[in-house]
Amino acid sequence: MSEMVKVVNGVTLPLDEDGFLQEPDKWNEQVAEAFASDEGITALTPDHWKVVNYLRDYYLKNKIAPMVRRLCKETGFTVKQIYELFPSGPAKGACKLAGLPKPTGCV
Amino acid sequence: MSQTTLAPPETGTPEPPAPAKRKYPWYVIKPREGERVKAFLEAFAAILRYSNYKPALDQYSRSSMKCSSCTTNCPVYATTHDPRDIPCYRSGLLLKTYRRHFTVGGWFAAKVSGDPGLTEAEIDEMADVFYRCTACKRCTLECPLGIDHGLLTHLGRWILSELRIVPKGLEISVIEQLHGETGNTSAIPAHALKDTLEFLEEELLEMFGIPMHYPVDEPDREFVFFPAVSDYLLEPETLMGNLAVIHAAGDAGNWTIGTGYFDGINYGLFYSDHVLERTIAKLVGEVARLRGRKALIGECGHASRSAKEFVPVFGGDLTVPVVNIMEYTLRQIEAGKIVLDPNIITEKVTYHDPCNIARSGWIIDQPRKIIRAFCPNFVEMEPHGRNNLCCGGGGGTVSVDEIHEFRMSVAGRMKADQMRATGAKYVIAPCANCKKQLKELIEYHKLDTKLVGLHDLILKAIVIPGAKSPAERAAAERGE
Repeated sequence: MSEMVKVVNGVTLPLDEDGFLQEPDKWNEQVAEAFASDEGITALTPDHWKVVNYLRDYYLKNKIAPMVRRLCKETGFTVKQIYELFPSGPAKGACKLAGLPKPTGCV
Repeated sequence: MSQTTLAPPETGTPEPPAPAKRKYPWYVIKPREGERVKAFLEAFAAILRYSNYKPALDQYSRSSMKCSSCTTNCPVYATTHDPRDIPCYRSGLLLKTYRRHFTVGGWFAAKVSGDPGLTEAEIDEMADVFYRCTACKRCTLECPLGIDHGLLTHLGRWILSELRIVPKGLEISVIEQLHGETGNTSAIPAHALKDTLEFLEEELLEMFGIPMHYPVDEPDREFVFFPAVSDYLLEPETLMGNLAVIHAAGDAGNWTIGTGYFDGINYGLFYSDHVLERTIAKLVGEVARLRGRKALIGECGHASRSAKEFVPVFGGDLTVPVVNIMEYTLRQIEAGKIVLDPNIITEKVTYHDPCNIARSGWIIDQPRKIIRAFCPNFVEMEPHGRNNLCCGGGGGTVSVDEIHEFRMSVAGRMKADQMRATGAKYVIAPCANCKKQLKELIEYHKLDTKLVGLHDLILKAIVIPGAKSPAERAAAERGE
């Protein structure tokens, strides 16, 4: 587990075995950009940032990811558009970029 | 009960240079390394001493375990034709250990034949095969000797878990549920729960044009509600359907959600009676705190079965009746309190029976009666009901990401074929485990169908006097 890391601007960030950030507090915008290239996203557009920033703010407030229904409602994107922006989907793509930890339980 | 090994991993103690790590088929947080045979046998002995598995094992271990009638019913074996997937081969590994180490005859026979007893390799094999079983118990329908292979899978996993050989996907959630700050498997803080409920209330107001509320921490109510906690992250429509039904039935003042504990999930059912017992204690404790009279379980097979079967076993003085939300909803329909519009869900629908509520015969007809009340185009999968096929993610395997490919191409393959054969637009699965697995199967096998909960469809079709009609709501959803 500890073998997986991501180095961003010389800072080494440990990842869990699914590639999620282990210490969500260490997140910054460069981290999102580094994750984006792994996800096959060539450049983060304002639409990407709208989703990432919403997830980030929601997480900092609630310590959990929002429902996808809520994400769509608040950002104005449909689920299909979210998948177009983040090919791995809202959880494995968008939440990972926003530095949220991997969800647990039956999810 | 035996000593648990569930406490979070120790930190700070310097470790001796570790020998080469063992490989498990899935990620394990911190298994016991080195010599495990003694620890396995000690855990087995403790469980036998403090539980009532012994009479069952005494009886089971007298049979040959070679008849293999179960092969005709196991969806995993039917796909792999691999001998290690034969239910009685798998059960035989545990029973052989029992015979050799815990029966006089078996001990003597081992001495005479020079059998060295349990080996490290056998422990590795058990770790592999016990998680290739989805504990769906379909094999029990065909066993002429009445052996409950699902129970033996559970017992085998329990002993392994005492060596901390348990998939991380399960253990990490249980650590949070029993020791963590939030006290639930998805780590949802109470304030986030309330925030989500407010969001759902706003959605319902927009949809129906009338206010409906999720009561929180209300004492002295008939029902205290426990859905699979993951519904609060993933299943807004199921939860809104639950509220719409309760509201329309006139029970708005008869139920509550408790912020002290609001998770129906009990992974103990999958791998440890010790976890099972402690999780049941949390559930009955919350009902008692709120002076509720019944536990109402949401759309979830294992949550329902674990509560139904084990609240009476482990609930002690706090034991309360357990009701599944589908039983509740059917009762309201039959009492004429709920009206569903039969012109809304006109597409073909089918129903997947979650093993945990169907195999025992508990919940089979209730959802079908509800569906027939408003879905004119209902078709069955074959086989179904008590004889259903597992979604392929049962027994907790759905939470183990490392075996995703196994769940998709082996354990769930027959289920994917079954869904495809119905040609249904909607597959209804009233279970958080099954929902996750079936959604992944639909994506993996590129099926042209949508996975929904039963209350998701009820939400679309329910008629509430004074609120917007189902047709108006459908039009609004289409953006008209």
